[in-house]
Amino acid sequence: MGYRDVAKVGLGGPVGSGKTALVRRLVPELVERDYEVGVIANDIMTQEDADVFRESFADLLPADLVEGVETGACPHTGIREDPSMNLAAIDEFTERHPELDVVLIESGGDNLAATFNPELADYFLFVISVAEGEDIPRKRGPGVTQADLLVVNKTDLAPHVDVDLDVIEDDAATVRGEDPFVFTNCKDGEGVDGVLKHVEREVLFA
Amino acid sequence: MTTEPTAFLTALRLSDSFLPVGGYTASYGLEQYLNEDRIEDGDDLRELITAYLQRVVGPCETVALSNAHAASAAGDLERLLAVDERLHAVTMPREFRESSTKAGAKLCELLESDSSSRDSNASGTQHVQDNSSTPATDGGDIVADFAAAIEADETPGHYPVVFGVVTAARGLSRLESCLAHAHSFVTGLLGAAQRLGRFGHTEIQSVLEALESEITAVCERHVDDDVAAMASFAPLAEIMGMRHEHAGRRLFMS
Repeated sequence: MGYRDVAKVGLGGPVGSGKTALVRRLVPELVERDYEVGVIANDIMTQEDADVFRESFADLLPADLVEGVETGACPHTGIREDPSMNLAAIDEFTERHPELDVVLIESGGDNLAATFNPELADYFLFVISVAEGEDIPRKRGPGVTQADLLVVNKTDLAPHVDVDLDVIEDDAATVRGEDPFVFTNCKDGEGVDGVLKHVEREVLFA
Repeated sequence: MTTEPTAFLTALRLSDSFLPVGGYTASYGLEQYLNEDRIEDGDDLRELITAYLQRVVGPCETVALSNAHAASAAGDLERLLAVDERLHAVTMPREFRESSTKAGAKLCELLESDSSSRDSNASGTQHVQDNSSTPATDGGDIVADFAAAIEADETPGHYPVVFGVVTAARGLSRLESCLAHAHSFVTGLLGAAQRLGRFGHTEIQSVLEALESEITAVCERHVDDDVAAMASFAPLAEIMGMRHEHAGRRLFMS
């Protein structure tokens, strides 16, 4: 058993876009559906962050299926050019839990060019926040255009930051063509079902 | 001296930060030196890395690498495992051991998998050896056996040891291998320092240039050391490495 024997879902996106919030929403839903889940968080910075992360899944996942991986201040390298330390962490998961179904790999916050190495993630989500600006999809960063699923999060903030969700929707449809995108408000859980449907259909049932 | 292209290109490849073995995640305690404001400028950095070279890279990792290279070239698995075991024993901080064994496993996995394609592509090619002491061995069996031992958790698989095995199989001399490893160790630490502190790119290159003579000196001094001489004496670096396990801020795995 090793990293090639388990489904791997990457979550990338800029700092503060809601990647961690989405992971926290997805894990209980996946566990509820009887999947055995592992979680890797890149660049959690401090031991305190690591403890908070483990505590948030304490009732859902064994502690040894939650791991932090430091990427030496190179978050994109860790998920793209050289994912070896993430793969090593997944290998440890599968060694201890051969029945593992899926691993969620949360990237450190990065820029719009960050994409996941296909050997690290079978499927990757790129999470952006409406609060980062209405023009994010229009910039056509590789993360936005190449992700398997674009997640536009924090829709509840749109009226407070003068963002028109219709503009984001039109731009996302233009730059992504046939590829899907969803709107979410991870704080309240809105739209998370849509993310789950894509992940289940494209990764877990594939 | 005749340049052997395969060996030369292997040295470049193994010394390059482009090599995907996770080297960019290791600082071997350097992050903690910076966390504790113990490094102010390029001179401090040069002095610290000089100490790493003289007390860790030379008497410990170079000795391990060189002996692993020799054991591998001789096809002696038992000797190779003994080198790996000793390096594990003399590497004190847990995070140093983890960074080294994780990178070692990845290097082994990477180069073992492409050695099979290399063998099929290079059939019939005969390279001219330079004046090194490296025997012309394809290393196939010993590399595979060592990889299997790592995979089965029978040996830790430290990076310098795997490096020695790989370079022996690809025709680098022991000294060339030690130089390539020491150089990449130094550039790894300098890269970590630049990402963590505020060092200019020309300043970092000046430090690297100033360290070249030390890299050469420690490799030449320790390349022929017996495995029993392998030792590390860098108490402060080790303490920094151990404190890093509980650091308030950590961007690196060690």
